[in-house]
Amino acid sequence: MGIEKSKGFKAVLKWLKTSKKKPFSFQSDAWQYYAEGYCGLVNAPTGFGKTYSMFLAVLIEELNRQADLPAKDRKKIDKADAGLKLIWITPLRSLAKDLARAMREVCAELEIDWTIGVRNGDTSAADKLKQKKLMPEVLIITPESMHLLLAQKGTSNNFKNLRCIVADEWHELIGSKRGVMAELAISRIRGLVKIQSPERLLRIWGISATIGNIDEALDVLVPYPELLKVIVKADLEKKIVIQSILPDHIDMLPWAGHLGHKLAHKLLPIIYKSKTTLIFTNTRGQAELWYQNLLKLDENLAGQIAIHHGSIDYELRNWIEDAIHTGVLKAVISTSSLDLGVDFKPVDTVVQIGSPKGVARFLQRAGRSGHSPYETSVIYFLPTHALELVEAAAIKEAARTQDIEARQPVVMAFDTLIQYLVTLAVGDGFDDQQIFNEVRETFAYRELLPSEWAWMMQFITTGGESLTAYTEFSKVEKVDGLWKVISRQIALRHRLHIGTIVSDAMLKVKFITGGYVGMLEESFITIIKPGNSFTLAGRVLEFIMIKDMTVLVRKSKLKTAVTPSWMGGRMSLTANLGALLRKKYNEALDKTHADEELDIIFPLFERQARVSHVPKDDEFLIELINTKDGYHFFAYPFEGRLVHEVLGALIAYRLGKVKPISFSIAMNDYGFELLSEQPIPLDEDNIKQLFSPDHLGEDIVASINATEMARRKFRDIACISGLVFQGFPGKYVANKHLQSSAALFFNVFSDYDKHNLLLRQAYDEAFYQQIEEPRLAAALHRIQASKVIIVKTESYTPLCFPIKVDSLRENMSTEELGQRIERMTAEADKKSERQK
Amino acid sequence: MTIHCRGEELILSKEKAIYWPSKKMLIISDLHIGKSAHFRKSGIQVPATIGAGDLARLGAQIELYQPEILLITGDMFHHTINSDVALFADWRHQFSNVKIVLIKGNHDSLKAEDYADLDILVQEKELLMAPFRFIHDKPKVADAYFNITGHIHPGITIYGKARQRLRFPCFYFSDTCAVLPAFSAFTGLSKINPDEGAAFYAITPLNVVKV
Repeated sequence: MGIEKSKGFKAVLKWLKTSKKKPFSFQSDAWQYYAEGYCGLVNAPTGFGKTYSMFLAVLIEELNRQADLPAKDRKKIDKADAGLKLIWITPLRSLAKDLARAMREVCAELEIDWTIGVRNGDTSAADKLKQKKLMPEVLIITPESMHLLLAQKGTSNNFKNLRCIVADEWHELIGSKRGVMAELAISRIRGLVKIQSPERLLRIWGISATIGNIDEALDVLVPYPELLKVIVKADLEKKIVIQSILPDHIDMLPWAGHLGHKLAHKLLPIIYKSKTTLIFTNTRGQAELWYQNLLKLDENLAGQIAIHHGSIDYELRNWIEDAIHTGVLKAVISTSSLDLGVDFKPVDTVVQIGSPKGVARFLQRAGRSGHSPYETSVIYFLPTHALELVEAAAIKEAARTQDIEARQPVVMAFDTLIQYLVTLAVGDGFDDQQIFNEVRETFAYRELLPSEWAWMMQFITTGGESLTAYTEFSKVEKVDGLWKVISRQIALRHRLHIGTIVSDAMLKVKFITGGYVGMLEESFITIIKPGNSFTLAGRVLEFIMIKDMTVLVRKSKLKTAVTPSWMGGRMSLTANLGALLRKKYNEALDKTHADEELDIIFPLFERQARVSHVPKDDEFLIELINTKDGYHFFAYPFEGRLVHEVLGALIAYRLGKVKPISFSIAMNDYGFELLSEQPIPLDEDNIKQLFSPDHLGEDIVASINATEMARRKFRDIACISGLVFQGFPGKYVANKHLQSSAALFFNVFSDYDKHNLLLRQAYDEAFYQQIEEPRLAAALHRIQASKVIIVKTESYTPLCFPIKVDSLRENMSTEELGQRIERMTAEADKKSERQK
Repeated sequence: MTIHCRGEELILSKEKAIYWPSKKMLIISDLHIGKSAHFRKSGIQVPATIGAGDLARLGAQIELYQPEILLITGDMFHHTINSDVALFADWRHQFSNVKIVLIKGNHDSLKAEDYADLDILVQEKELLMAPFRFIHDKPKVADAYFNITGHIHPGITIYGKARQRLRFPCFYFSDTCAVLPAFSAFTGLSKINPDEGAAFYAITPLNVVKV
C-alpha cells in the first residue's frame, strides 16, 4: 500500500504543516522506500533536511505500529519491544548534540515516548552506565563508540529490537579506516539480529553528500545481495558563490607558505558585514595563529571571535557551539572539526584559508553558510601563497561543472580487522566460523582468503605462525567454544585503544586553579620548559609543570607565544583538481580565461617564463638547479602529493641504477624534488626512459623497499593492531614495561617474521592504497606523450620554491653504506670547521 | 675500534660492547632479557627469536675476546622470570667459565636467589675499578672516577650535504663519563645532548665510526 494513506504519514504531514513546511519529494520517497523494506543511500545537498529523510521514516513506522496495536495489549507489547530501535552513526562528536536536540523536539511534537541517547568519547561514565542498564530507543554514536559497545559484556542483547542503522555523512567515513569500522560493526549487529530475531528486517541506510562514486558508496554500506537497495537523490541544487580574496598586487603574496597573514586585513571587512563568519583552516596550529592575528589587527574583536578545533576541551567546544547558535559570535576559526552537518543558522559567510585540496571538501565547507533550503552559500577563498590562486580558479571551475572526486573505500585493512576481532573477544566472545562469514560479506574484506583469516586468528591466539617463536603468548583464548580475552588488563588496555585515528601521545592541559583548556601532543611539551608560554584555544598560557599526566598552566602575561604544532596527515590534491590545474596553467599565460585570479598571478607567470618556463598541459617541465645545498632536480607532473611521493621515489630509484647516488626527496601537489650532493645523471636522452611506464610494478616495489614509506605507514598499523600504545589524554596507561615503538616492530618483523600480514599491509598502503597503479601509469603515459622541457637555471623559480622549502623529506640511496657514512662525516667535519 | 680513556685501552665493538683488555673484561649494558616474553604474556606479538639473537651475538663476542668477566651495567633482565630467562639459563651453562657481574639497573628486579641460580654476581649500586666507576645511570655529582653507564640507549644522527641523514646507535664519551649503547636489538634510541668536547662513536652495520 502507498504510505500516504497511513496514519503515521498523515501525522508527520500535519506536524510539518504547523511550521508551514511540506516534505521535499526526496524525503517522502525515502519514507516510502523505507516502509517497503528497502535499504539505501539518501543523496541531497546540505540544508534540505537530510536528517528528516531518514529519522521521520523510522518515526512513521513507529506511529503506524502504535496505531495498529490493540489498546489493551499495548503496555505488554511495548515492554517486550523496549530498547534500541535506531542506531545513528555520525563521524563527528560535535554533530551528536545538535542531532539529539532536533530528534527530541520531533519526538515530543509527535508524541512518541522515545529516549534519544548520545554515545561518544565525550559521554560521561554515568550516562554510559545508564545506557548499559536500559538502552535508549535512539542511539547517536561514532564508529569508535560502536566498537566500544561491542567490547562490553552482555552487549549481544542490546539489538533484539533494532530496526534500522543509519550512517550519517557517509561520504566522510567511506574513504577511511573509520568507515571500515562502521562496516564491521554493522556486519556484527546484523549477524546478531539475524540470529536473535530472524523474522526482523534490519534496514541499513546512509546519508551522503555528492561524491564521484555514489553507487560504490552504497555498495560499501550495504554489500548484502539479499537486501533491496536504492539511491534516493534529491533533485535540488544548492547555489554556491565562490569569491577569492585577492591581493592588490601579486608581490603581496609569498611564493611559499601556509599562513596568508598578509591578506588578513582584507578579511576584516568581510567579518564586519556578515552576521557570523566561519573561518576554516587546514591545521590546528594555523587556526591558533589566525586567532591571534585577527585580534592583533582589531582588538575590538576580543570576545566576539572564538576558536574551535579537536584539541580544545569538550566544555569549551560546547560553549562555542552554543554561542554560534545564539549568534553572539562574529567569527569562529575552525579546522575540520566544524566541517559537517551542524546547522548553525546565524552563519551567513564562510572563509577558506589555504587550499582545500579537493572539490568535495570545499563545497562541504561552503555549505556551512546559508544552511536553509534555497539560501545561497557564500564562501571566500583566501590564498596563503601565490600559486594557490591558480587552485582557486580550478576549484571554481570544478564547482561549476560539478566535477566532484570519488572517495576510495579502504579495503583489506588487516590492522582494523585484528583490532575488531580482539574487540569481540573482549566483549561476549566470538565464534570464528560465524565471524569469518560475516566479515567476508563486508565490502572491505570480500577478497579475504581463508589463509589470511587463519593467519590473523593465529596472530591473536598464539602470537604468530611459528609456535616456538611465540612461547608464552597470551591474548585471545577459547572458552566454552568462544574466543575470548580473559586477562582483565589486556581487556582494559584494548578498550582504551579502540579506534583508527593515530596521534602522538596527548596530554590534557589544565589551569592550576582548575578548568581544562584542551590537549597537547606529548612531543610538543617535551621541548618547552617551565616558565615558557604557548598558545592553546586562543589563550596564551604559561607552562608550570606536568603532574599526573596533566599539563598544568596559568594565564601568561605575554601577548603572543609559540603555537604548538599538532601532527596530522597532509592532504593531497585529488586527481580531478590536478587535471584542472594543468589546464589553468595553460590558460594563464595565454590569457584565454575569465578568471580574475589568473589575472593577478600573471606577473608571477611572466617571471616563471623568464627564468624558466611555464608548462602547458602537453608539456612536462624539469628544472635543474645547482646551489650550495647540492644538485636539485625538480619535476612537475601536477598529480597531487601522494602520486608525487611514489613517483619521486621511483625516479630516484631508477637514477640510482645509473650510478650509486643518494637523494633527499621532497614533494608538494605540483611536483617533486630530488636533491643530491653529486651531479644527477640526467639528460635529454634518458629522461623519457626514466619516466617510462615499463616495468612499473617491479620498480615501484623496489623503490618503496628502498625508502621509509612503508615504515611510516607501519606507524598507524602498529597502533591500530595493538602492538604499540598511543597515549590517551587523561587515561595514560602507566606501563613502562610494555612501551615500544612502531619502527622497532617494523625491524623485528622484517628480520624475524617476514610473512607477517601487517608488514604486507604497510607495503600495500604505501602504494596500492595510496594511489592506484592505473593513476600512476596514466601519469607516466601522459608524460611520455608530452614534450619534455629541461631548464637549467641558476636560482630557484616561483614554481620550485614551495617544494624546496618543504621540510618533510624522504631519503633514498644506492651508495654503499660505508662510503656514504665516510662522505657524510667528512662533510659534517668540514662544516663544523667552517663554523669555527 | 680501539680508543684510550684515562690511560686505559678500550676496544669498542660494533656489536655494542666494550672490551677492556688489561682486565680481560667484556662490558655491555641494557640486555633486557625477558622483554620479548613479557610483551607476549601481555598479548603483544614479539618473536622470541629476537632474544635468542641477542644471546647468540653475546656468545660470539665472548668467543672472540675470551674475557674472564662479563660486566653488565644494568637492565640485564627486563621484568620477571619467564621463558626468555629460561633460554638465558641454558646459554649460561655454555659459558660457565665466564664470571658475570651485574650492576643493578631500574629494571633488574629478580630475587636474590634467582641471580644466584643463574650464577650472576650482583652489585647493588656500582662497581669501582680505577679509573672507572661502572654504574647504571650517571651520578649527579662528578668526582675523580670516570663513569661508565648505560640506561639511556643513546643514538646519533649524522647529517650530510643535500639534507641527508642517517641514524645509528652509538657510544658516547665525554671528559667525565661514557654511555654504552643498549645491547638488546629490541630497544629504541634516544638523543643525547653532548657536553663540550665529547665524542660519539656511531655503530654502523659495518664498523664503529667516530663522529
